[in-house]
Amino acid sequence: MYDVSYARVNAVPAAVDAFSKGDDPKYIAGGQTLIPTMKARLAAPSELVDVSRIEDLIGICEDGDVVIVGASTTHAAVNADALMNQRIPSVSALAGQIGDPMVRHRGTMGGSVANNDPSADYPAAVLALGATVRTDRRDILADDFFVDMFETALEEDELVTAIAFPVPKRAAYAKFPNPASRYAMVGVMVAELADGAIRVAVTGAGSSGVFRWTAAEKALAGSMDAQALDGLSVDADDMLEDLHGSGEYRAHLISVMTRRAVLAL
Amino acid sequence: MTHVVHRPHPHDSGPLHVTGTAPYVDDLPTPANALHACFGLAPVGHATIDTLDLSAVWAAPGVVDVVTAADIPGENNAGPVIHDEPLLADGTILFPGQALFCVFAETRLAARKAARLFTLESTELPALTTVDEAVEAHSFLHGPLVFERGDVSKAIEDADYSSSSRLYIGGQEHFYLEGQGSLALPSADGLHIISSTQHPSEIQDLVAEALNISAAEVTVEVRRMGGAFGGKETQAAPLSIIAALGANRTGRAVRFRLDRDDDFVLTGKRHDFRADIRVGFDASGLIKGVDGILASRCGYGHDLSRAINDRAMFHADNAYFYPALELTSLRAKTHTVSNTAFRGFGGPQGMMLAERLVDKVAAAVHRDPLDVRLANLYNETDRSVTPYGMTIEDNVLPQLMPQLAETSDYRARRAAIIDANASAGRSPVRRGIALTPVRFGISFTTSFLNQAGALINIYKDGSILLNHGGTEMGQGLFVKVAQVAAEVLGVGLDDVKISSTRTDKVPNTSATAASSGSDLNGWAAKLAALELRNRLTAFWCAEQGIDGGLTFAQGRVSTEDGQSWPFAEVVRAAYMGRVSLSATGYYRTPKIDWDAKTGQGRPFLYFAYGAAVSEVEIDTLTGANRVIRADILHDVGRSLNPDIDHGQIEGGFVQGMGWLTMEELVYSARGDVLTHAPSTYKIPCASDRPDVLNIDLFDNANAEDTIFKSKAVGEPPLMLAISVHSALAHAVSSFSPRGRWPDLDAPATAEEILRTIATERTQAL
Amino acid sequence: MTQISMTVNGKAVSADVEDRTLLVSFIREHLGLTGTHVGCETSQCGACTVHVDGQAMKSCSMLAVMAQGAEITTIEGLAPSADTLHPVQEAFREHHGLQCGFCTPGMIMSAADMIRRYEGKLDEKTIREQLEGNLCRCTGYHNIVKAIEAAAETMAQSGETQTASA
Repeated sequence: MYDVSYARVNAVPAAVDAFSKGDDPKYIAGGQTLIPTMKARLAAPSELVDVSRIEDLIGICEDGDVVIVGASTTHAAVNADALMNQRIPSVSALAGQIGDPMVRHRGTMGGSVANNDPSADYPAAVLALGATVRTDRRDILADDFFVDMFETALEEDELVTAIAFPVPKRAAYAKFPNPASRYAMVGVMVAELADGAIRVAVTGAGSSGVFRWTAAEKALAGSMDAQALDGLSVDADDMLEDLHGSGEYRAHLISVMTRRAVLAL
Repeated sequence: MTHVVHRPHPHDSGPLHVTGTAPYVDDLPTPANALHACFGLAPVGHATIDTLDLSAVWAAPGVVDVVTAADIPGENNAGPVIHDEPLLADGTILFPGQALFCVFAETRLAARKAARLFTLESTELPALTTVDEAVEAHSFLHGPLVFERGDVSKAIEDADYSSSSRLYIGGQEHFYLEGQGSLALPSADGLHIISSTQHPSEIQDLVAEALNISAAEVTVEVRRMGGAFGGKETQAAPLSIIAALGANRTGRAVRFRLDRDDDFVLTGKRHDFRADIRVGFDASGLIKGVDGILASRCGYGHDLSRAINDRAMFHADNAYFYPALELTSLRAKTHTVSNTAFRGFGGPQGMMLAERLVDKVAAAVHRDPLDVRLANLYNETDRSVTPYGMTIEDNVLPQLMPQLAETSDYRARRAAIIDANASAGRSPVRRGIALTPVRFGISFTTSFLNQAGALINIYKDGSILLNHGGTEMGQGLFVKVAQVAAEVLGVGLDDVKISSTRTDKVPNTSATAASSGSDLNGWAAKLAALELRNRLTAFWCAEQGIDGGLTFAQGRVSTEDGQSWPFAEVVRAAYMGRVSLSATGYYRTPKIDWDAKTGQGRPFLYFAYGAAVSEVEIDTLTGANRVIRADILHDVGRSLNPDIDHGQIEGGFVQGMGWLTMEELVYSARGDVLTHAPSTYKIPCASDRPDVLNIDLFDNANAEDTIFKSKAVGEPPLMLAISVHSALAHAVSSFSPRGRWPDLDAPATAEEILRTIATERTQAL
Repeated sequence: MTQISMTVNGKAVSADVEDRTLLVSFIREHLGLTGTHVGCETSQCGACTVHVDGQAMKSCSMLAVMAQGAEITTIEGLAPSADTLHPVQEAFREHHGLQCGFCTPGMIMSAADMIRRYEGKLDEKTIREQLEGNLCRCTGYHNIVKAIEAAAETMAQSGETQTASA
């Protein structure tokens, strides 16, 4: 790991302020992706601004039909939270499938969403549920938030403070994990939103990161039935291809996992 | 009756392990001025070195010394048998990631940072990476080994049926949890090297050769390893030699630990193989002739590849008699890391050939593969001679396999699975089941290695210090050998103090490998203990005027007529009576006689046997698969320690399962190992273990005079997992046309299973 | 350099460390507590698992400065006293839940955490799933799972599950 200086902050303005004073700073919360990446010298920020202890960013609450998760809430907390389990059980269940227990004790939703790793689980939930990413300065709709792999609409110093999930009528997540890393090879969230809209978001597979599978959404809008997906498939050329699986394999898995998510609704 | 052996005893280091107080090499306190070593690794594959500029490395903060090949006073070699594995690259880079130089610096971080600051100009050369490429290019380490019997072509042509197929069998990374590590301590008496190695004596020799000093000036010590599995037999040497070199040059201690990534890149793995199989058989499935070619990727150098490929040949028949045969072993030389020993040592890959061909035959004649297996087993009359001319005298499989089939309810379960698969309809789930045997030869096939020594000191207070040439890597060798010493001397296990393996206590030892640890060292310790017991007996009988013998048991020395004294009292008296209380024991394995030149002889003292039934489930839409249940019946002779042996069987089975189902090594076109960390290379985790795993020991005393009639157990259980691969192929075969067995390669990853299903569906059309 | 202080195994410690120092390096090299092992260095194997404020975490994936003010328990501090073993330690020893022992400290720390989270109510399947962050290459996990089951039962009976990681 390259040299780095670290500062812990206790409030959002202090975080942004500390960030603005850095040369090449990065926010860190759980660090479950960032620290291994820094150890592998694939990232080398000069300053780390630790937002994991900002109390305003921790916790889960509801505001009408929206469940709001503080950005520094850990996966373990999301998984165990009574409110989330009651209102959007698919999100709690998804949180329980991230990494392993130790990772879930530290990793946070804000960190995962801001990093937009193409194999992370949360982006599928955020996109499928039409969530809003709240930051220190604005609200960003999920559809506008995820730009490309490891790339989001966030400005350099912009800090994710919360994710607001509208409670769907129903939703389910089906994941085929990479056997080694337990990241998603393919993860598909299928949701029927409160207004009846159908959304299908796919993580782990797309060469540009998480994406909506609109053809599947249209088919399911006609009939929320796995058979409605018959004959549909994504283009293997648009898929990630690496030592864990070919683009063709991932494209195939998307069809399978989407069906399974529908069956699990 | 025995008191200490044949009983369960927990691992001697257990209390230390659970409290975190059992030190591994990297846990030892570092001398205050210790240096840290780090290799500079070649960023290219096969290439000539034009210039290597290390000025920035030298100039980096904290750097004390930098060595290249030219700085090695003696031989630039880590190769154990053939000296073709340079410690540091000399003129040519032989594989991607090869060590170019080594930095010694004040801190580990300083060494690591400096090691990246070199400038290399090189000219890349063509690289052969795979078995296919190397065989095509006739690139071999040395000539082939061939076993022949009868006219195989005629036997296959004359047979009612024949089948040809090709099977690719992947390699395997050891993934010992404790990475390679070494600590070299200079002193006025020479070098003291503490290494995580299975082979301290070899490191002693290689250090002496590289440093141009005598072996007597080098002491190598190992107390425990955090796993090894063959990966620390030869692969621990480079670190120790370089650490010794640094210590010798600087007069300071040198600590050397490889990063996990570097460990993956620099150290050899299990050889991957390509097996070409042609078999002729009759309508009942009886094999008439086998023509097989086993080609393996050895990497750039010999390491132990000759013996490993020899063993693949010794096991290419597994448990079956091939009346006519031609078996050929090709040792492909590639520009990749030099592959090495891994639990089973080529045997597992050879057995894969045998089990695949039997499955092919059974499918072709529409019989339960178990019946075809039983029909083709060796017997002790007219079908008892192996392809290398050894007569099998201890075969228990004709009893063991039916017993397992019975206890596991194999027949009924197989029938139910076939029915369920046939009526699965739209369900994506298919199941499969297989029962496969293991017959594994015990002894080093390099005959001179079959020797061992032990040293036992009894002190005046009656306490006993045990030392032997075997190393402890978690397998429980130390407790087993201590049991032997305690049994012979008639004391409790706790009265025997176990000590670290050191070349200055027991010299010229063989590696703890080939499953031989307790066979060899147990006997050596027994002989040392018997010597001491005889001395005590002679002394005490004379002292007390006793006629007849004494028994040593449960801490007391007793006469036949019931007189008895505490062991410690007898010892104290013996010391006062000027009796030597220190003895060495030396053992060499009898009967073995193998001639590598003729390919004939008796390479093994005996065979260890076992069989497993595995039932698997595959998801035919994703390729995901898991083992639902496995039943194992394994022959460990009269177990020295049933708990330890159970542990070896469970661990070996799961490791073999990992090899054949999920552990996939991926290389780049120029030979880089791309799966170089656990985030990309998958080993079994707790949730991968079979839901049900029943393990029983087969009741069977070793027919040979082994230590307390036990059998070796380190490697054989790994091959029980071949049943998992066979069961997966069985599940896939539910898509095959009748009479066909799928060409499922190993590892049977999810993607490989899907590929094979797709092929079988096409065949069915 | 930053001055950090925290409680490790019940004792207050403080030191000056570089910010990039990993928690595991701090524990092993500064505090000399070498029972916490470095296995893979890529946050996968779990050999470095410790408890941070009562929760199991991988000390190789945390900076020491991030543990400022935290309560840390390592394998050396799990037992209630120097001459007794924690029930999980006792179960691993007794049920032969170890071979080479290198993964053992991390396994035990994970197991104690798991028993706390599930209040001792653990079946075999749950144990297997919850152990996914800890790799063992020797045992095949059989006896590890058995040991955790036994420890969970012992602790549930004696009401110790609430304090498993205290």
